[in-house]
Amino acid sequence: MADIAISTDKLTRRFGALTAVDSIDLQVAAGQFFGFLGPNGAGKSTTIKMLTGLLVPTSGRMQLLGLDFAVHPVEVKRQIGVVPEGMGLFERLTGAEYLHFVGRMYGLDLPTTRQRSEELLEFMQLADRPKSLIADYSHGMQKKLALAAAVIHGPRILFLDEPFEGVDALAAGALKSLLGRMAERGVTIFLTSHVLEIVERLCSHVAIIHQGRLVAQGSLEELRAGVPSEEGSKTTLEQIFLSIVGQGGAERPQLEELSWLL
Amino acid sequence: MAAVTHFPGVIGQIRLVAALRWRLLRNAMRRKNNRLDLIGLLLSEIFGSLLVLGLCFAFYAGSYNFLSRGHLNWIALLYWGIFVWWQLFPVLVAGFGASFEFRTLLRFPLSRSAFYIIGLAYGLADVSALASLCWLLSITLGAAAAQPHVVPATLLVNLVFVLMNVNLERLIGSWLERLLARRRTRELFFALFILSMVSLQFVSPLIERYGDALRPWVRVAYQYLAPFPGSLAGRAVAGAAANQYGDFFLGLAGLSFYVLLFAALLWVRFSAQYRGEELSEAPAPSRLIPRAMAKETGEAAVLRFLSPQVAEVLRKEFYYLLRNGFSFFLVIMPPLFILLFTTQVGSLRHRSSGFDLPHASLFPAMMGYLVFILIAPAYNSFAYEGRGVQTYFMAPIRFRHVFLGKNLLFVFLLALELVLSIVFFAYRVGLPPAPRFVATLAAIVFSVAGQLPIANWSALNFPRKLNFGQMRGQRQSGMAVLTLFGVQIVLGGIGALILFSGRWFDNPWLPAEAFAGLAAAALAGYFASLDALSELAEKKKERLLEALCR
Repeated sequence: MADIAISTDKLTRRFGALTAVDSIDLQVAAGQFFGFLGPNGAGKSTTIKMLTGLLVPTSGRMQLLGLDFAVHPVEVKRQIGVVPEGMGLFERLTGAEYLHFVGRMYGLDLPTTRQRSEELLEFMQLADRPKSLIADYSHGMQKKLALAAAVIHGPRILFLDEPFEGVDALAAGALKSLLGRMAERGVTIFLTSHVLEIVERLCSHVAIIHQGRLVAQGSLEELRAGVPSEEGSKTTLEQIFLSIVGQGGAERPQLEELSWLL
Repeated sequence: MAAVTHFPGVIGQIRLVAALRWRLLRNAMRRKNNRLDLIGLLLSEIFGSLLVLGLCFAFYAGSYNFLSRGHLNWIALLYWGIFVWWQLFPVLVAGFGASFEFRTLLRFPLSRSAFYIIGLAYGLADVSALASLCWLLSITLGAAAAQPHVVPATLLVNLVFVLMNVNLERLIGSWLERLLARRRTRELFFALFILSMVSLQFVSPLIERYGDALRPWVRVAYQYLAPFPGSLAGRAVAGAAANQYGDFFLGLAGLSFYVLLFAALLWVRFSAQYRGEELSEAPAPSRLIPRAMAKETGEAAVLRFLSPQVAEVLRKEFYYLLRNGFSFFLVIMPPLFILLFTTQVGSLRHRSSGFDLPHASLFPAMMGYLVFILIAPAYNSFAYEGRGVQTYFMAPIRFRHVFLGKNLLFVFLLALELVLSIVFFAYRVGLPPAPRFVATLAAIVFSVAGQLPIANWSALNFPRKLNFGQMRGQRQSGMAVLTLFGVQIVLGGIGALILFSGRWFDNPWLPAEAFAGLAAAALAGYFASLDALSELAEKKKERLLEALCR
């Protein structure tokens, strides 16, 4: 079996009486493009926050690249990149200033920080506004900058919380090819998205969380095998997702109740 | 679907908007679940109402006296007072926060007239308008007590005066809304406000010096105000009181002209909004321009001695300081106030002889004030980080780097301001004796190094998010403020005791020696606290992220 990049053992997080993440056991191999799916409020962002050190687990353990996060937080953080929920940008810096800040915080030397900042701004098409503050960026531009900041130090694991939300099609295409090439070179990419088509196109492996519990995990083929399909047609990720999370449509609202609209 | 749809008329739409405002107010009150907040709010409301009520008596007395004693020309002063308040107060508070934008109602099928009338109704519901209405009522009551026959004319003048003011206030508000939609304009506006507040402090000394020379100019200027609203209203009421109906009608006609003018201009503004005016903050798309090559500048010399992480936090803090109007002015204000205070003390000095005891105590007091003003933000030092605070926890650093960077900037600023303030002080008042001077400097080191660990602890325990360039709706963390004041009281007590110990023991250098010892201990304590604070940051990070990332 390939090296394990991310491994959790009964990872749990409670907020008072609410158990947001309930004893999940994740295994993500190094170099995998891993999709982490779930409906709203399922516990996706809470899991990412725990895996990136923004939230302390109530119980359970997690290892990244073989290191226990609780014991070696700084060593682990050096090797991961994160686009968190809300992006975590300092909005009163310019894009270049922010990338410079992040590069130096991750210990890059000055010439490397400058060179990478320029190249990333160019790649993300953010270089034409050198004096604009991040606060003046559009949502999509902020997303691209957050991604640039997450990769500036060349991380071995990349955590992306809804990375394509608000990004235009042109930039999304460029980002997807960048992420694909990073995965080919051995970077593990852990991604959450509500756009199942993107996850299906990019990810080789998927886990589904529902009401805090991990309800499915495996390669797309393995998950497809567990869902009955019509003969001759390939089961889509959306069908898999709905069959696992939506119990085949049993939770859909009764449309008859909206007869006045329909 | 159409069968159940019944569009309300203008009155119905106004009633719906009134209900919406009431619900917004009620729901906003629900958030203030903290009992102390609610008490504070009630106290400020009561204080505000008392102020308005007190001025009601003043306007009543003014109106009664001017009419009963025949000082008819002075009535215009009352109207000018109300006019300036009505127009100026909303402008002063406009830039400091988001309030309900009635423009958002445009998504609903409102008629243009309903939109205009609702706009005016909003104007009448403002604090400035409500207070002005109370004062106008007081003028009418004063007139009724002095000359009952003037009441109908006063009522008519007041009605037209109200229409003129509400139209003008909405017109100015509408233009301000357009201007302040952009963040930069909002911050510039805020900076101008702070500057004007500082400038006002200099009015008293200037009047004291140049007041006599200005008096004739004021009389001339007052004549030129005759064609403007306050004077026109005064002229109409005075005309009615003196049975000179030519003056009454002239004043009223002038006021009516302003009503028509402002109403027409407001209609044009509201029509632009009604058609769909774009006030978005997002920059317009621009063509791709070739990027200027980044300048290959080396690291600033002062930063080379620091670790890259500390240097970056320091640099980021510096950028944030320059880009935050409020913090920036907070920083430049203390030397200005010291200049102001010493200007007044300096004039006293000319009348007294030499550098006596109060003057000798003034130097440590001024420096204490400087430290107090500058260190206050450190008690909630993450206030402006917003979601960026996540970067500190995602990066492979220890939190001591963050505190060191933040605290270093504070120390640099303090040193700079100390030098400036000492120069001002020496120029205006003269330096205190050497033992007092050295003791004060050592006391500053003790106070700063002793306070910073407590301020850092407070910033982790009582974080509260603040927004750039806003004042209204921004409230400091109550516990951080309490901690700040508690520490000042303790340090002030220690400082005073030590300063006076020199006199008690008849040894002028004793305070300097004592403060130097305390400063050394405080510095050692500061560096020892950094690791403990790093651990505390890990424990408190969820609270910090929750408070700042909302």
